[in-house]
Amino acid sequence: MVQPKHHVIIGSGITGTQAAITLRERDPKSRITIITMSTLLFYNRYDLPDVFRGRTDWQSFLVYPPSFYEELNIKLRRGSRVVNVDSTRKEITLGHKETIRYDTLLVSSGGRGYLPEELVDFRSLMHNFATFEAAMNVKKILPENGKVIMLGGDMLGLDLARNLIQCGYTVTVITGEHTFWPHTVEGNERKTFMKALESMKVETFDGDKAEGIASIEEGKKGKPARKIIFKDDTVLEGDVVMPFFGLAPAVEFMIGSDADIERGLLVNPELRTTNEHIFAAGDVCQIWDKKDKSYKFFYGWKNVRAMGEVAAKNMTGDNTAFVTTQDEKLRLDKKGQINSPFWEYD
Amino acid sequence: MGNISTKPVYLEDKLAEIKSDGKLEYRSKALPTWCPGCGYFSISEGVTSALNNLAIKPKDTVVVSGIGCSSRFPFFVNTYGFHTLHGRTLPVATGVKTANDDLTVIAVGGDGDGFAIGGGHLSHVARRNVNITYILFDNGIYGLTKGQTSPTSSLGFTTSTTPYENHDRPLNPLMMMLSFGSSWVGQGYAGDPGHLGEMIEQAIAHRGFSYLHILSPCVTFDKTDKTYGNLNMQVKPIPDDHDSSDLMAAIAMAQNVHKPPLGLYYKEDRPTLADGLDEITQQSGGGKNVVTAKAAE
Amino acid sequence: MKNTDIQISICGSAGDGTIAAGDILKRALAKGGFKVIAFDVYPPEIRGFGKCISRVRVTTEQVYSLKHHSDVLVSLDDSHAIPHVGEVRDSGAVIYEDTPISGVLEGSHISAHISPGQIPYGLPVREISEKETSGNRSRNIVALGYLAGLIGMEPEIFHETIADKFRGKAIKITDMNVAAFDKGYALGQKTFKLDDVTVGKAKKSRNKDATITMMNGNAAVVQGCMDAHIKTFFGYPITPATTIMEKLATEMPKVGGRLLQTEDEISAIAATIGAGYAGSRCATATSGPGLALMAEMLGLGVVAELPSVIFVSQRGGPSTGLPTKTEQSDLNLAVYGRGGDGQIIVLAPTNVEGCYKCAGKAFEMAEQYQTPVIVLLDLYLSNRFETVELPKQSPFTKTSNKAAKKKDLEGGYKRYAFTKDLASPRALPGQENGMHTITGLEHNELGRPSDQPRMHEDMSAKRHNKLLAALSHHDITIEKRFGDEGDVDVGILGWGSNFGECLEAMFKAREEGIRCSAMKVVMLSPLPLGPINDFMDASGEVFVPELNYEGQFANLIQGATARSVHSYTRVPGSPMRVEDMLVEIRRLAKIKKAKKIGKTKKAKKKAA
Ligand SMILES: Cc1ncc(C[n+]2csc(CCOP(=O)(O)OP(=O)(O)O)c2C)c(N)n1
Ligand code: SF4
Ligand SMILES: [Mg+2]
Repeated sequence: MVQPKHHVIIGSGITGTQAAITLRERDPKSRITIITMSTLLFYNRYDLPDVFRGRTDWQSFLVYPPSFYEELNIKLRRGSRVVNVDSTRKEITLGHKETIRYDTLLVSSGGRGYLPEELVDFRSLMHNFATFEAAMNVKKILPENGKVIMLGGDMLGLDLARNLIQCGYTVTVITGEHTFWPHTVEGNERKTFMKALESMKVETFDGDKAEGIASIEEGKKGKPARKIIFKDDTVLEGDVVMPFFGLAPAVEFMIGSDADIERGLLVNPELRTTNEHIFAAGDVCQIWDKKDKSYKFFYGWKNVRAMGEVAAKNMTGDNTAFVTTQDEKLRLDKKGQINSPFWEYD
Repeated sequence: MGNISTKPVYLEDKLAEIKSDGKLEYRSKALPTWCPGCGYFSISEGVTSALNNLAIKPKDTVVVSGIGCSSRFPFFVNTYGFHTLHGRTLPVATGVKTANDDLTVIAVGGDGDGFAIGGGHLSHVARRNVNITYILFDNGIYGLTKGQTSPTSSLGFTTSTTPYENHDRPLNPLMMMLSFGSSWVGQGYAGDPGHLGEMIEQAIAHRGFSYLHILSPCVTFDKTDKTYGNLNMQVKPIPDDHDSSDLMAAIAMAQNVHKPPLGLYYKEDRPTLADGLDEITQQSGGGKNVVTAKAAE
Repeated sequence: MKNTDIQISICGSAGDGTIAAGDILKRALAKGGFKVIAFDVYPPEIRGFGKCISRVRVTTEQVYSLKHHSDVLVSLDDSHAIPHVGEVRDSGAVIYEDTPISGVLEGSHISAHISPGQIPYGLPVREISEKETSGNRSRNIVALGYLAGLIGMEPEIFHETIADKFRGKAIKITDMNVAAFDKGYALGQKTFKLDDVTVGKAKKSRNKDATITMMNGNAAVVQGCMDAHIKTFFGYPITPATTIMEKLATEMPKVGGRLLQTEDEISAIAATIGAGYAGSRCATATSGPGLALMAEMLGLGVVAELPSVIFVSQRGGPSTGLPTKTEQSDLNLAVYGRGGDGQIIVLAPTNVEGCYKCAGKAFEMAEQYQTPVIVLLDLYLSNRFETVELPKQSPFTKTSNKAAKKKDLEGGYKRYAFTKDLASPRALPGQENGMHTITGLEHNELGRPSDQPRMHEDMSAKRHNKLLAALSHHDITIEKRFGDEGDVDVGILGWGSNFGECLEAMFKAREEGIRCSAMKVVMLSPLPLGPINDFMDASGEVFVPELNYEGQFANLIQGATARSVHSYTRVPGSPMRVEDMLVEIRRLAKIKKAKKIGKTKKAKKKAA
């Protein structure tokens, strides 16, 4: 008897989950394991700003009910961190010292919020918005009509910002090179979008003009909980400070494997890494672009879901190349408000 | 001792005798139902005279027995009596004594009762040194059930259950009881009532567990082996120079099964079960007559 | 405020402090004013790595059994806990070690077995324990602290309970464990909670005459014995009764009582009966195999009309059977297990408080009715912890012996005189003029052996009928009905430790709209036939669930009432599943409905 194949997927986000669904369709007898650090089942990150509208039950965010995993016979390993991938033995090791053998491995661990070097020391004074838990945390500490200072202002942040404003909070974005990430908007175009931000009641503050951030401190008693001191001595006060500097691939655990890494895992258009049994998809990988002769990141849920599907096909014997279908243009809607294809989700 | 009677003791003779002494108080209105000539008569005689001599009141005496001809004994003495189950004489006696230290508890029973079915209890009552007297009526046969082999039946003895003769080696009760840690061990003979009475008296007087082994013919079912005739020829007194505090000497003497020495084999003074239990009471910080306090959960 | 009702399972190996953690948990919660029911499962082997599970159900209102599903599982040893992950309900929590010492292959870590509906909480138990106590001995306490923090229990009651637990040991040990607890607690509080398991406020009792404590059935038996002024106890160790003797061995000497470990159960019951004969309040404790050995002696107790109390904690049988598993299969032995017509009194408490009550009352009954009294428990009840309210004043008599008076002794004392209440005045050894000999032989009023047919008949009747008075013994529940009054669709007739499950099933059935009530029968011998027949009259279908294979109680009832019941038997070695009972109750309710419809149809036909 042939042993069923074991497909292991690192990351339970949209990429990993889509891959699992496709794998199950194409290889009904296989073992499929998804490993995630999260203690939650796959949920919709795009909905997280809803917590400010009182949607605080985590179950309501779930994309699939628990039974989905059982019905598709997908083993979901929550609360598990991958610490090593040994590509010779085709074995991964989890933080709690359990080893799991795979036949094919898909790395779809996504990206985590990037933090510029000079801000690392102030990490504990900032709040991220990457998980449901983090979102609930911000909701808990943010006073009614409170003020959020948003650093960087990538598209994830701006999405949150427009939602916060709708909910009666104020938001000040400290703009800089990461504003509008992953869109690249420059020159006049940038000016238009900046204006549009203001029309959306998003306050902006040019961080570069103030020579960058010198420090972040706790506010005095009776004052807002945080203050940001710029190098030109300007001080901004707010209730929470949230960094939004785009995403950086989460790939540390792959260093011991023989898959090549630049910033993300390097894959060919078929999403195969330099190891034939290891694939990568989603925000974690850089895909070879034959035309440009360079490795490129592709963002947006349509892209990453498509990558999950392509990787799954190729893990089960296909040889399909990933082609982006994602519209990447930042635009203004009829009301003159910013709209990004990266905010769309179905 | 000396003049060993060659005659069995007969009821009629006894009746005349007992009318004249104080022992009557200890006698039940019920007359023994044993076969005329049975060795047991002299044992009941010995017990009543011992109690009389020791001035132990009938109301303070409990005779506990098992089942067997011998175990009918309590019915024939005017004390408190408990005719229990086959083999359970000793644990019942232990219970009675543990419940009330003031009682004189005498356990009686046959060789089958004590060494067959009840054999498991012997060692424990001995090692605990329960302050009771155990009088074992050894006729080498099951009397009540009409003559089957017993754990003390001789090799080659034929009975209804060993019609082709007995091949099971008999036990050595004296050696057993000595090795189990009895603090008083002696042997008497139903054919020598005078000596037997003295032995019973000593046994009851002993503070601790006293074991008195009595050789007693079953005139009805043993016509060949442990008869008065045979036993009269065999028994002999313990030599005067025997040191009754010397356990090894006592055990050596107990080997002499063919010429059974009669008298006191061994005696030792040591704490009784009740002494130990009282000690535990002390150790627990409690005491007698303490009103029950709440048990700590 | 929502009422609290949560069940926590802690599972690990014998060396992990599993039972100790469960013990602290249940004691702390009881201290906090909650109602607690707890049951531990041990391995049959003593040391080493056998599986232990401690299950604790915590509620605001009194409940009657453990739940089938736990809300939280704490694993101290994955290899043992993995088979129990399925016990945790959806949205319940699984707490486990995330920093094990050595690596394992896929599937050997518990996180591999947590279902998508359950919430995983991995934590560095070992690392914290090593930091706080320079060893991994306090892993259980760290995990406990985490649990307490996670579900929102007050830490102070745990500090006190930990201090109690380590009382007598070096202060440092208490401090280290409290520190370990606090570290776990802080982590638990900080954890982002996804499960919905929470603890609310407890209710305080107002009964001034009672003390609220938490104890298991065996401890309650001991407390009952002590409050009843037990004087002598003889026993031979056997699971699950042993702890009765062990606790009594500590407590009895403090008040001048005497306890002896005998060479076997025959000796134990013989000495007990001997002591009872001598007028002492006496008892022994055993399980099925020991009770079998006691059978002959109990017959002697019957015929000689002597008091004795025998606590019997059942385990799986026959023979050595399942020594560490629960079962209700010694009913036949307890009720019938003697040669001859050997009727005695058999009491089967249904909960821990009942153990206390039955223990004390058993002595009164044994003396008053001059009979052996068996108090029939089982492993589940012996080891099950419950919060109980015990009276501050002992509710039991010091003695219920019917002493022989002077006039009884005049002119030939009749130990077995035929009296109005059938229990004859008893002279005790040491009493002047009361000398008599008692015997296991049939006897006349004087106690002398007699095989006269009339005498045997009269004495048999005396021994049988005198026990009937026990059915109206003061201040004890003989039987009791719960749930719907009047006619019901399904009547559950239950007994012993299983009655808690019967009650839970009954309440659930009522929630589903089934008219249902449950009756517990505490006195199994003699049977309270009047109330049982009334209950059967009122019940459309009579459902008799019990933890044995043959349906021993059902057979007893059917034999005694000549009416049929629905016997439902299971022998899983563990408590009966309420859910399974419910399925049966629903089925019976349907039968009842069908019959009703059939009846009305018939009636209509007739009318037409
Ligand atoms: C449990 C039990 N088994 C068997 C018997 C039958 N039985 C009665 S007395 C006896 C033997 C008696 O022999 P022993 O103890 O030597 O007494 P003896 O009659 O010789 O004095 C037996 C086997 C019984 N009464 N109880
Ligand atoms: S049968 Fe033997 S032992 Fe029994 S009374 Fe008769 S002679 Fe004595
Ligand atoms: Mg004999």
